[in-house]
Amino acid sequence: MVNRRFIFFALCSIALVATGAHAQARPDLSGAWGPYRGGRGADPKLAAVAAAPPVLKPEYAKPYADRRAAETAATQRGEPGATNGVLCVPYGVPTMMSVAVYPVEFIQTPKQITIITEAFSEVRRIFMDKPQMKIDEVPPGYYGRSVGHWEGDTLVVDTVGIKDTVQYQRIPHSDQMHISERIRLAAPNVLHDQITIEDPVVLEKPITYTLAYSRMPDYEMVEFVCDNNREYVDANGVVRMKTRGK
Amino acid sequence: MLVPARNYCVAAFVLSVLAGTAPIEAHHSFAMFDTAKTMTLSGTVTSFEWTNPHAYIEIDVPEARGGNKHWSVELGSPSILQQSGWKFKDLKFGDKVSVSISPLRNGDAGGLLIQATLPDGRVLGNGPGRGPTNPAAPAAPPAR
Repeated sequence: MVNRRFIFFALCSIALVATGAHAQARPDLSGAWGPYRGGRGADPKLAAVAAAPPVLKPEYAKPYADRRAAETAATQRGEPGATNGVLCVPYGVPTMMSVAVYPVEFIQTPKQITIITEAFSEVRRIFMDKPQMKIDEVPPGYYGRSVGHWEGDTLVVDTVGIKDTVQYQRIPHSDQMHISERIRLAAPNVLHDQITIEDPVVLEKPITYTLAYSRMPDYEMVEFVCDNNREYVDANGVVRMKTRGK
Repeated sequence: MLVPARNYCVAAFVLSVLAGTAPIEAHHSFAMFDTAKTMTLSGTVTSFEWTNPHAYIEIDVPEARGGNKHWSVELGSPSILQQSGWKFKDLKFGDKVSVSISPLRNGDAGGLLIQATLPDGRVLGNGPGRGPTNPAAPAAPPAR
């Protein structure tokens, strides 16, 4: 009898510990998150980590470098070229995760984690514990298809199916591009999203960077509908602003 | 009136605040605006558009030779503006306002807001880290 009680007690203890560990392992990411601010008082260990300069395959490297040089020169002349953002076209994955100082909102449920950005109200859905589809079965889009699973305290996300016009830092990519993310709490109120972009066709080596966010507990996300866009692209491809004066 | 601006310093400040965040995107480049110049406009508001991707102040500015010239002033988005104290009803048709802007390089009658002096004397910038360069400074004389 004693032995049975002891075994029952031991099993309960194990279950409780396991449950506790489980709860600790899967943090609740729900809520609004804004860019983690560097500068005075900030912890450098919690700050974002920039990507190294991209290394493209030789056949892509020179055209990319030439285009960036031309873009830089145009900007210095005061004649910036068009980007998707200028035309209110969504940024897509992964750029939408870091648009200026705008927050992002996570809505976490067991089967799906939804991320809504404030800038341009973009929405991406991460389907939990589902297998990823073959790349050529995913119709190319702005957000592709994202699947996720938990590895301890880390949400691991895999995304494929990003259309070729949706580019990170205007780096070209092929339909073989994979984006993987490791999302975890680096501190109780600091979220890190380590993003790795792999493309065996275009990239010589993966691009990796880490975004850092601070929790915004009381923040109410602001509406953002792009219905008064006065920026336009003229016949020479230069971004202009419409004015109403003569 | 054109005077040297400190917008590059302001931009540098914004970047320093976001130090390490690196891969950020903005709606558009600000290269179309001449951030080396500051122009001050005092006039009458014809509309204040609390919209995305940018808010706008439309103003009629009296010309020295008579009549008005109409100017369009671009601000940040409502989300960014509210972080620096703006509210959607801070300006309305008929209000007298004074704004400093970085004018468009192409000479069109438009520019990017640096700071605005509202009818109640408040001085508001263009989002966190974007002016007013010295909030404690006395407000510009009210426009007539």
